[in-house]
Amino acid sequence: MDLPIKMLTTAVAVPVFGAFLIPFAGRVSSSARNAFAVLLGLFTFAAAASLLSPVLGRGAVDYVIAFPRGFDLILHADLLSVFMATVSSFVSAVILIYSLDYISHYENQTEYYTMVVLFLGSMMGLVFSANLLWMYVFWEMTGFASWRLVGFFRSDRDVAKANKTILVTVFGALCMLIGIIMIYANYGTLDLRALHGQAITFTAAVFILAGILSKSATLPFSTWLPDAGVAPSTVTSLLHAAVLVKIGVYAYARIFGVTFAAPEAFSTMVLYITGASALISAGAALVETDIKRIIAYSTISQLAFIFLGLASGNKTAFIGAILYILMHSVAKGGLFLCAGIIEQKTHTKDINRMGGLFRSMPFTGAAFGLCSLSIMGIPPFGGFFGKYLVFAGAAQNGSLGVLLMFLFGAMMTLLYLARLFYKVFLGEPAGHESPKEGSYTMVASVMALALISLALGAFIYYPASYASLLTATLGVNLQ
Amino acid sequence: MDKGLLAYLLIPLLSAVLIPFAARARRRLADVIANVTLLAGLANLAWLVLRPSMISGGFADIPGDGLTLLLVGAVYLVGFCVTFFSAWFMEDGTPNRQAYYSLILVSVAAMTGVVSATDFFTLYVFIEVLAVTSFALITTDDSGRGVEGALKYFFLTFPASALIILGISILMLTLGSLSFDNLRIFMASGVPSSGPVTFGAALMLLGFLIKSGVAPFHTWTPDAYQGAYAPVSAHLAGIVTKISGVYALIRMAALLHFFDGRALALSDLLMFLGMLSIAVGAVAALRQKDFKRMLAFSSVSQVGYIVLAAGLGTPLAIMGAIFHLFNHATFKTVLFLNSASLEKSAGTTDMEKLGGMEHAMPWTSWTSVVALLSTAGVPPLSGFWSKLLIILALWQAGLKTYAVLALLFSIVTLAYFMVMQRKVFFGKKSRAAEASAEVSAPLLAPAVLMSALIVALGLLFPYFYTYVRMVAERILI
Repeated sequence: MDLPIKMLTTAVAVPVFGAFLIPFAGRVSSSARNAFAVLLGLFTFAAAASLLSPVLGRGAVDYVIAFPRGFDLILHADLLSVFMATVSSFVSAVILIYSLDYISHYENQTEYYTMVVLFLGSMMGLVFSANLLWMYVFWEMTGFASWRLVGFFRSDRDVAKANKTILVTVFGALCMLIGIIMIYANYGTLDLRALHGQAITFTAAVFILAGILSKSATLPFSTWLPDAGVAPSTVTSLLHAAVLVKIGVYAYARIFGVTFAAPEAFSTMVLYITGASALISAGAALVETDIKRIIAYSTISQLAFIFLGLASGNKTAFIGAILYILMHSVAKGGLFLCAGIIEQKTHTKDINRMGGLFRSMPFTGAAFGLCSLSIMGIPPFGGFFGKYLVFAGAAQNGSLGVLLMFLFGAMMTLLYLARLFYKVFLGEPAGHESPKEGSYTMVASVMALALISLALGAFIYYPASYASLLTATLGVNLQ
Repeated sequence: MDKGLLAYLLIPLLSAVLIPFAARARRRLADVIANVTLLAGLANLAWLVLRPSMISGGFADIPGDGLTLLLVGAVYLVGFCVTFFSAWFMEDGTPNRQAYYSLILVSVAAMTGVVSATDFFTLYVFIEVLAVTSFALITTDDSGRGVEGALKYFFLTFPASALIILGISILMLTLGSLSFDNLRIFMASGVPSSGPVTFGAALMLLGFLIKSGVAPFHTWTPDAYQGAYAPVSAHLAGIVTKISGVYALIRMAALLHFFDGRALALSDLLMFLGMLSIAVGAVAALRQKDFKRMLAFSSVSQVGYIVLAAGLGTPLAIMGAIFHLFNHATFKTVLFLNSASLEKSAGTTDMEKLGGMEHAMPWTSWTSVVALLSTAGVPPLSGFWSKLLIILALWQAGLKTYAVLALLFSIVTLAYFMVMQRKVFFGKKSRAAEASAEVSAPLLAPAVLMSALIVALGLLFPYFYTYVRMVAERILI
């Protein structure tokens, strides 16, 4: 086995199996456990990032474990999977570091770290597997981890929401499994490399779409995400909003973007569904008063833009969508972590009881502002380029109706984020005692994410050329 | 009889006879003898099947049809878990300790007899021995509920036995012999006037359906399982009803050549009842308030999957059915043993009174999670693969409606287990949780062992698949 293959296998195996060693590390001491968990996260990120140069240099890296009936476990590193793995493992590593302080006052910490690392490992497995069945396997494993994480606080309400999360996503996943079985019946294989460029039937595509939409919390399965974001700790909701929902987007890109040529009618349907999702959730974000619900709705709305880019069937839009995934992960991660600091310090999630926090929490406020600007798509932030390319591509061959829906959605993004920033950081203080800044590691995490959003805009050349190389080499059926 | 496996039948029988004499003065000796007997058998089987040369050879050297050996393994495994658990679970003053272990060993011997029988009469005799031992075992703790459960079990399985013996007599009259091979050859020959034979087979199938607790004949199972002495319910649900009913259904599905399109009406009927059972069991389980009753209905639902696959009868379906039968033995044993632990520690299995038990009983909680996820078919645990095989088989046979329904009922399975998990383990600490503590390590060991097996079978699916394919090839000639 040469080095890239070793890196590929360890990027999946180390977090998946390492997660189950965390309880044993917890027996030693709590700081050993925390250090071990963070190390696992950093190692996974390093392993995923180290694959960037081999896939750029010599193309795909493969590792296969044979299973009967064509259920082989195929780990396949190509431009798309390495990109996705790097982004999500980076955000997860930041979450782990941030958790050290944030989570330190609660019960069940061992379970928390175990599940976050298991989640990360399953995510890696999902991203790298080139067999639809194994995508499903890892898909369910992420669902399991998120079930435990959403129910972290254990009150009846939390547990009910955890159950809602897992039931909705598993229902979607089962629909997806039906779609997978249809593909298996049609082609006799589930190996995505062999299926490259094949046509997919409309029914199978719709079944798979149900799974994708339920995981990425898009209409009509969107309700679990705000619920999951409200009950448990912010870190968990971040994990869901910045990482978990990307699973659906990634699966869409992998299955309909770079493997199957989806039917025209199907892509159009996706555009309308996600357009509606963008508008409705943006509207919800405008009227909500709970800071984490607002950000969760904003996530649902932003995901729709990524789907717009992926489903337009246009190279420019596809490049835009890939960039959008990167920018949104970083900036939305930053927003959620800021919300976590604010909640921890003010002991409330209600934005009507905040206000004027900029004076006492300048760093958090600045980071929050920078991340918001990136999500709104203001130049020169990274978010601008993603949004611009998505719209430019969609305008070339999308219908006017879809375009207007999304433009309106983008405008609403501006509105609700500006409202949020004003309510929380500016204006008169409303019933709080000007709380102090968060701890050093927490503020450092959010500042890092905010500055990275800015830097990604400045150095847009590198991610953009990566994304266009990806689109040119892997994309299927793009104009 | 398959004579190669006779030792697995005779040795527990011998131990059963020995126990009342040997353990008269020192009661604890009964535990020791029972455990040692079963453990020795298990070690022997493990060597027979799992030695490296056998695995690398693709299990081609397994004697007999392979199914017998696999199920004897399952019988010993569950039997050992139950006796080991009982050894620590039973209070010291229990009057009928020797009788209890003797009965368990007799039932293990009877089950070995059932799976190694090669003609219907032997099968029937052993199934009756099994029924009588189960009947006695249910009443172990002398409680009123136990007697009630035992009576229900008796009154509902008695007609089943009558139907089976009636079917056997018709087969005897028409075929002139009761050996499995004879029926197989008759069905394979495709004689057009197979009416009486099919009728006899139908009567027997009906009997076995009642014995396996398939809807609409499932009403005895919740009462019997709930009323039974706690470890006995694990024994009953984990293996006894599977061997005395479901095994025979799979065997008959193979013998009746469902895969060739013979006896289509029976095949359709089995599939329909299987699907009905999946639905009825799952929906009823959603509404249960008692942990053990919920598990009983869950059994009804899971047996439905096996019957559905057996009714289809294609090689892939039979593989799925056998795999699911084995998996069902593992996860149901874990769940029932855990319910027994709960009963011992918290004093009740009423879900309304429990809650937040995971703090008090982390091991019980986590092994339950593994078992319930496997039951619901969540990958990569073993239950996922067996369900996948069954659903693929249905799909390939063109029965897409059944396939989709069977798949979507997994969500109901998950739903009732989520309810259970929320009420019992997850959630805020209840008063019961504060007063109780984790049971001792020996009581946890069987559940942990079985959970490890669930995970291992899921990850080592290729090996198990090779084995089951070998079985399917041999029994579907």
